[in-house]
Amino acid sequence: MILVTGASRGIGLGIASRFTSLGFDVVGLARTSVAAPFPTFEVDVTDDEQVRQVALDLRRAKTFPTVVINAAGIASMNLALMTPASKARAVVGTNLLGTMFVCQAFAPLIARAGGGSIINFSTIAVALGLSGESVYAASKAGVETYTRVLARELAGMNIRANCIAPGPIDTELLRGVSDSQIDAIVKQQILPTRFTVEDICDVAEALVDKRLSSISGEVFHIGGV
Amino acid sequence: MSVLVVHHVRELMKDKNVLITEETSLIGDSRVLDSLGLVELCLRLEDEATELGFEFDWASESAMSRNSSMFRTVSSLAAEFESQQQAKS
Repeated sequence: MILVTGASRGIGLGIASRFTSLGFDVVGLARTSVAAPFPTFEVDVTDDEQVRQVALDLRRAKTFPTVVINAAGIASMNLALMTPASKARAVVGTNLLGTMFVCQAFAPLIARAGGGSIINFSTIAVALGLSGESVYAASKAGVETYTRVLARELAGMNIRANCIAPGPIDTELLRGVSDSQIDAIVKQQILPTRFTVEDICDVAEALVDKRLSSISGEVFHIGGV
Repeated sequence: MSVLVVHHVRELMKDKNVLITEETSLIGDSRVLDSLGLVELCLRLEDEATELGFEFDWASESAMSRNSSMFRTVSSLAAEFESQQQAKS
């Protein structure tokens, strides 16, 4: 079974739908469920009790994921000195703490399944140090470091952990970002192309594949940096 | 409950010659299990708890506090396991 957070929209919905179409059993986690071709639990990943309850329910049902994909995330475009505290807390809470809570709750279930893979989401903003994305990039830098340490700690349980770090992808996260701003970021990629949710799905699919079983603790930059 | 914990610790230990007592450390410099072994121990205790009709919570605030960590020794882990069982009943 593949568990995907942020499964009601954007990259999470795209990935969950992709794996469903490939014949995998997929379970989604989302703050609000939407009509989707896979079952969804209504969970706020910033609430560790809610996250742990879902993990407990799955364990009781002896339904153990072999793949966990943390796609839940929120963005904030603010200059560092002008970021409201509430926004900073929300971004770090969802992007970093939410990822931590999900990994902590579900890694033991992956271990019970005999091993598998965790995919977390970073951003190209970390590598590029993009102006206006200080809190967002900092939260994702935390995800990258957390993932590297996690990969080391879980290796003995046959669990791999990696990050995908997309550039600008056409989802709700880009709402309010102008085309010229997006183009300026895309130009800094090695492959100066606007990639899509489908391209992210391709990388996620590859990372789940057993042929990449030698890869853990890495960050995959979409478009290259 | 210490007997139960000792049993699983002994099974998970790489060095089978080390004597396991109630005061054997599970964390710190003199621990007898590595981090992987400690997680496996917790998974086994989860299963034991399920058999006994309760859920063993090994990621609680108390578990993470080094000063009062349930993982200090075999006996402290056994005491926490028993405490959670009694809280359930």
